[in-house]
Amino acid sequence: MDPILDVRHLHVFFDTYGGTVQAVRGVDFTLEKGETLAIVGESGSGKSVTVKALMGLVTKPAGHIPEGEILFEGKDLTKLSDKEMQKIRGKDISMIFQDPMTSLNPTMKIGKQIMESLILHQKLSKSEARNRAVELLELVGIPDPASRMNQYPHQFSGGMRQRVVIAIALACNPKVLLADEPTTALDVTIQAQILELMKEIQRKMETSIIFITHDLGVVANVADRVAVMYAGKIVEIGTVDDIFYHPKHPYTWGLLGSMPTVDSDDEKLMAIPGTPPDLINPPKGDAFAARNEYALQIDLEEEPPMFKVSDTHYAATWLLHGDAPDVEPSEAVKKRMKGIAKGNLSAGKENR
Amino acid sequence: MAKYILQRLVYMFITLFVIATATFFLMQLLPGSPFNELGGKMTEAQEQILLEEYGLNDPVPVQYAKYMLGMVQGDLGVSFQYDNRSVTDIILDRIGPSAHLGAQALIIGSILGIILGMIAAIRHNTWVDYSSNVLAVIGISIPSFVFAGLLQYYFAVQWRIFPPSFWEGPIYTVLPTISLLIFPMAICARFMRTEMLEVLGSDYIELARAKGVSNSSIMFKHALRNALIPVITVLGPITVSLMTGTLVIEQIFAVPGIGEQFVRSISVNDYPVIMGTTMLFSVLFILVILIVDLLYGMIDPRIRITGGKD
Repeated sequence: MDPILDVRHLHVFFDTYGGTVQAVRGVDFTLEKGETLAIVGESGSGKSVTVKALMGLVTKPAGHIPEGEILFEGKDLTKLSDKEMQKIRGKDISMIFQDPMTSLNPTMKIGKQIMESLILHQKLSKSEARNRAVELLELVGIPDPASRMNQYPHQFSGGMRQRVVIAIALACNPKVLLADEPTTALDVTIQAQILELMKEIQRKMETSIIFITHDLGVVANVADRVAVMYAGKIVEIGTVDDIFYHPKHPYTWGLLGSMPTVDSDDEKLMAIPGTPPDLINPPKGDAFAARNEYALQIDLEEEPPMFKVSDTHYAATWLLHGDAPDVEPSEAVKKRMKGIAKGNLSAGKENR
Repeated sequence: MAKYILQRLVYMFITLFVIATATFFLMQLLPGSPFNELGGKMTEAQEQILLEEYGLNDPVPVQYAKYMLGMVQGDLGVSFQYDNRSVTDIILDRIGPSAHLGAQALIIGSILGIILGMIAAIRHNTWVDYSSNVLAVIGISIPSFVFAGLLQYYFAVQWRIFPPSFWEGPIYTVLPTISLLIFPMAICARFMRTEMLEVLGSDYIELARAKGVSNSSIMFKHALRNALIPVITVLGPITVSLMTGTLVIEQIFAVPGIGEQFVRSISVNDYPVIMGTTMLFSVLFILVILIVDLLYGMIDPRIRITGGKD
């Protein structure tokens, strides 16, 4: 079966006073129907920009897509006009935003904010839209939805607001749901509820989800596949098992190592040294080379291609080349990986 | 809500009392006496009789007590310059043109300013934005009487499109209104542009875009109301500046308004008219602030005022 979304060689650039920021520098991935793909990476790695590009929300004229295709049901979204894109946004592809405190219009009633896209895309009458909005609020677990419809965002708590944001995203039964760190701004207890909710909705509606996060615990919990992004590129992509049990890219090792687990007894957290590269002048060769303790001479000269590890697992590091020395992650990282896998993967599997 | 307004009205009376007291004593510092103008034609004895009759020979605290007692009963005293016409009568006679002019300038000016600011924000960093910016700076920094003079010269004297002065019909209001509305328009445009840009960059506008809402709906349904909130704040001070602005504009265009009357009364030490007009301006100002606060609640649900618990 064809994937619902096929992103090919996507580039997103932003013109700034300091120069052109190459925020996304050639991203390829596919998304199957009903699957959850997690995109992980540190701040500034291009995760959010990638997702915004899928929505057609890269603001012109500063932001532009110089290269690449986003194929959604055979159509290339990058070629569509703003008007055509408006018909897809919120209907076929919708998005859950990161910060529920700021992503609802403070001067518009909750009900109206949900009804808006129903009236727009499904051509419902006001009263039909109203009924559907009440249903949606009920679906996302807001008690007493009918009377909540007439309230304003400030009368909702953060967790409740995020449920509203999810209800808005789900209003038209989207085929693809893009979730940009939907739980980052929430309490841990609320986080789990929201994740459960999203999984339940996915089961009911067969939605495909792209889930952006930098919380690997969340990834293990919700995702089928994981893409690791660094400096505007995907450096490793594979199933959750591939990434958590057999990571190949040193950056993925670093990410896994920097995540504390319940039974990590050593006191120090392992940080990845250095900072991400400047994307106005991206470095020659592998962008991660400067921070990579396993960097080879070739990393400084030539960008590594995607090496195939298995049918589902690819990684862009020269360490996978036949001539490269055999390198293993350090014992400490391995220990962490085991901890994470034990703690989260098992829990995640039970839920799935 | 009713409780809130009542509370505000009580504060209003306290404020008015303080203003009345301050104005009364400050007025005593004005040089000269109300009957100076007639100085040459009046003997010492005649002037004494007049001063006695109006109670101006009483000690100041006694005058103050008498005045305040009268004011509480709604009696603002009688004018010295118009053969004992009551101050209330003079004010009622004069307030019409001033109110007309002020309201016209405020409403047209702020609406034009808001539209201009929105356009500048939508087309920001283009020539449209830059020129509206220049216009706004000119409007804020050049006083209204300069525009009044220019408008009078070109539109009335040179091109004879509008009458240069007097108050005899709608067409007579055009030039004074334009000279008055430039300032509120410029201020509103500046605020609107800044606010609109801020609102358009906010998360909830991005979410509205993500819903597939069209650009014009985003502007009018989502952004406008949020951007208006801070603009409402400046409407209060703008109204005040309009009130003082009319003082000069009415002189220039010979509009028989309260401002023109006020200026003349100060120059001839007509104490009761000065007091009465000051009180009128104060009441208007306080009411404007109250209205602005109520408007706030209408536009922004987060500051909606309820009677006690919510």
